[in-house]
Amino acid sequence: MKPLASDRAFLLLLAAVLAVALLLVISIATPFGLSAYLSNAIGQLAAFAVLALSLDLIWGYLGILSLGHGLFFGIGGYVVAMHLLKHSYEVTGRVPDFMQFMGWSEFPFYWAGFGFFLYALAMMAAVVLLISGVFGYVSFRSRVGGVYFAIITQALVYVAMLLMFRNDTGFGGNNGMTGFAVVFGWPIGLNSVIIAMAAGSVLVLGMTLLGCRMLLGSRFGILMIAARDDEVRLRTLGYETLRLKLVVWCLSALIAALAGMLYVPQVGIINPRLLAPELSLEIAVWVAIGGRGHLIGAVIGAVLVNAVKFWLSAAAPELWPFILSGLIVLVVLVFPNGLIDLAKLKLARPMGVKRLSSETPELR
Amino acid sequence: MRRLFVAAVFAIAACAPSLSVAGEAERADLIGKLCGDTTSLGDGGRALTGIAADGSKDERAWAALIARAVLDRKLSCDSKGAVVISSDGSLDVFTHAQRTASEESRSPLLGLKNRALFETAEAALALRTAPDAARRNAALRTLERQASSLPEHLFEAAAKQENDTGLKAQMAAVAQAAALNSADPAKRIAALARIAATPDRRALTQVRALIADPAYAANPELKRAVDAAISTIGRGIATGDVMATLYNGLSFASILFMAAIGLAVIFGLMGVINLAQGELIMIGGYVTWLVQEAMRHLVPGLLDWYLIVAIPVVFLVTAAIGIGLEAILLRHLYRRPLMSLLATWAVSLFLINLVRVTFGTQNLNFVTPFYVTGGVPVIGDFIFTWNRMFAIVFAILTLALTWGLMRLTPLGLNIRAVTQNRTMAGCIGIPVRRVDMMAFGLGSGLAGLAGLALAPIYSVNPQMGQNFIIDSFMVVVLGGVGTIVGTVVAAFGIGQVNVLIEPLWGAVAAKVIVLLMIIAFLQWRPEGLFAIKGRRK
Repeated sequence: MKPLASDRAFLLLLAAVLAVALLLVISIATPFGLSAYLSNAIGQLAAFAVLALSLDLIWGYLGILSLGHGLFFGIGGYVVAMHLLKHSYEVTGRVPDFMQFMGWSEFPFYWAGFGFFLYALAMMAAVVLLISGVFGYVSFRSRVGGVYFAIITQALVYVAMLLMFRNDTGFGGNNGMTGFAVVFGWPIGLNSVIIAMAAGSVLVLGMTLLGCRMLLGSRFGILMIAARDDEVRLRTLGYETLRLKLVVWCLSALIAALAGMLYVPQVGIINPRLLAPELSLEIAVWVAIGGRGHLIGAVIGAVLVNAVKFWLSAAAPELWPFILSGLIVLVVLVFPNGLIDLAKLKLARPMGVKRLSSETPELR
Repeated sequence: MRRLFVAAVFAIAACAPSLSVAGEAERADLIGKLCGDTTSLGDGGRALTGIAADGSKDERAWAALIARAVLDRKLSCDSKGAVVISSDGSLDVFTHAQRTASEESRSPLLGLKNRALFETAEAALALRTAPDAARRNAALRTLERQASSLPEHLFEAAAKQENDTGLKAQMAAVAQAAALNSADPAKRIAALARIAATPDRRALTQVRALIADPAYAANPELKRAVDAAISTIGRGIATGDVMATLYNGLSFASILFMAAIGLAVIFGLMGVINLAQGELIMIGGYVTWLVQEAMRHLVPGLLDWYLIVAIPVVFLVTAAIGIGLEAILLRHLYRRPLMSLLATWAVSLFLINLVRVTFGTQNLNFVTPFYVTGGVPVIGDFIFTWNRMFAIVFAILTLALTWGLMRLTPLGLNIRAVTQNRTMAGCIGIPVRRVDMMAFGLGSGLAGLAGLALAPIYSVNPQMGQNFIIDSFMVVVLGGVGTIVGTVVAAFGIGQVNVLIEPLWGAVAAKVIVLLMIIAFLQWRPEGLFAIKGRRK
């Protein structure tokens, strides 16, 4: 991997992200700049980009495909929704809808303390680390990998969805949770608050990008790529890949949960559909379309696909699944490294080559 | 029609040589009661009900006419007895000769209480004599509410002569309930034994109600009989429940097996998990429906056999889709199994939306052929239903065919060789690519057949594949790569565990527990139950 200072494409992307963040910050204070609607869309895209980064870290740089990253995204979303509801209740005194629906007058005991953001954050980290740690440990220890791992993670997120659809769990059931009124003491519907949340998301995206880049540039990152390209050889050389994989897996899960915490306040609702296997598969699709094994690819893929999706869901909702499946087939057959291939094609060979090969071997 | 019937009944009654002098005396006595005051009119009504239970066939036919006539005020009493006014004119009740009533005749007038008595009598007589099943059914509905106040053997006698099976069973049930509440303890005990012979939940409620009966505390013999009946029924229900659970588990396992076997063959051969497998199941269901519709238009007489006719059609169509998929898409992805996950997911997305746009999202309507309708009640609440049996038999046939194909045909030999060592198989001249293509077609065709087996028991809509895909993955992961035995055992195990846990903690808990068990199991055997021996990769 190139040193950070000479990685022009990455620096360009980082600069673009920071510029958008700056534009949003300006829009908070002044009447010029972006509208609340547009800012909200940008904020959601930034949350998805963070989510794509988390998957790219484990898939693109360690070769482990998770089709259940929606689970951690969902945990982050649920935790922040619990915090917002509890906080809103403490400020406005209005009992949340799902409790009225269940006929409860007070919160279940495990909601205690969620009014404090730091406690919620700590709970999120604890739950995510517990689930990802235990699951990762048992899977990697028995060397479950490749397609097996992908399928089992998908079953995991599916089961979590079924669990959350139940109404008696105290997490909103099939209606989910909505009606957040206050965030950090500010009314959530205020234009400046919406823009501020979007600015926060874009800033977090920038920080995650930089953090991931620094991790990958370090010795640890070199080990990751070595494990991806030939794990057996790395093990033979005496490196313990279990610990390596486990650390990256847990880190990736934490970043996905962070994305969920950014996403839910901006859409104002969470329900179990967030845990549907389709969303988890879609994350992999964003990364594959953008370019797996490239931080830039993950961000661009997530932003592009979701921007088109936002636009088409309004314009031609029937068309979207066909376009998405067409895009996937195109990426899979013609551009094995996603849009990154397109960029290279233009730079290296103006006339193009017929068949591109995958940069990262999958079968060992 | 009615006129003819009335005339015929009178004719039979008139010519009946068996009509004894005693019978005539009874008839005269009855008419006397009917023409008497309010109290004796009530006695007459009860006597008519008595005839419905005990009388001979002729007696009942005669009484039925009288009861109807009293209700309609068509009976006129005079000095010489009475006449019935029918559409044939007025006829004497005894001789059935044409006779007009004398001047001072009067029709008995029914009070509120007596009217109820006569309605009961009329219904009881209709139950025994009415030629029309609907009328008998209506009569049964009227009578069952007051079963305990009626003569005990009325329903038994009616059930014995009934030839409509559904009605017969209902009559027997009412008779049983009546006997259970009879005044005679011996009869009650006999009825208890009879009820305990067919244990189900309704019987249990019936018998449990007796505990509140004062006779339960008073009569130790009855108490013993009731307790024995309750425990017998309880045992029967428990046995039935266990059998029903096993049976449901078996049918669920059959469906799982059908959905997973194609997946397992493909996965074993190419290391590709086909996420579109669920959609191939769905397409199997849709093709079955198309075959049904085609047969409805072309050969409506043979419509019931569409499930059989559809078998080759479904297999060929889904196999063709699979082969096309392999040739266009998956061929280029053998070295990239993770990408093939995404590619097949794209196919599944495409197929779901294509079907949704073409056929709409509603469930398809299937004709239920006679061979998958109903079932045989075995014990307790366990019914051996034919539609589930169809799925089980179908799965067993599929298993046999797949087994034969893999073990006995050259294609099967090639598939097994490529599964064990692709490079080596290629080296000794096996056309690896063509084997892949054929195997993919086979796996897809098997998925289509799963859709066919599901059609009579499951709702067929564009989303249906999604509900099976994760369960069938679990079967493949648990069973091990590319083994038929593994798939069978894993499908059976997951099916049974699911069905066993479901009634205890619910469907969601069943799924959670099954998943956790599989993850724990993979700790012990990462390659699945029946991994093919080979170098660990």
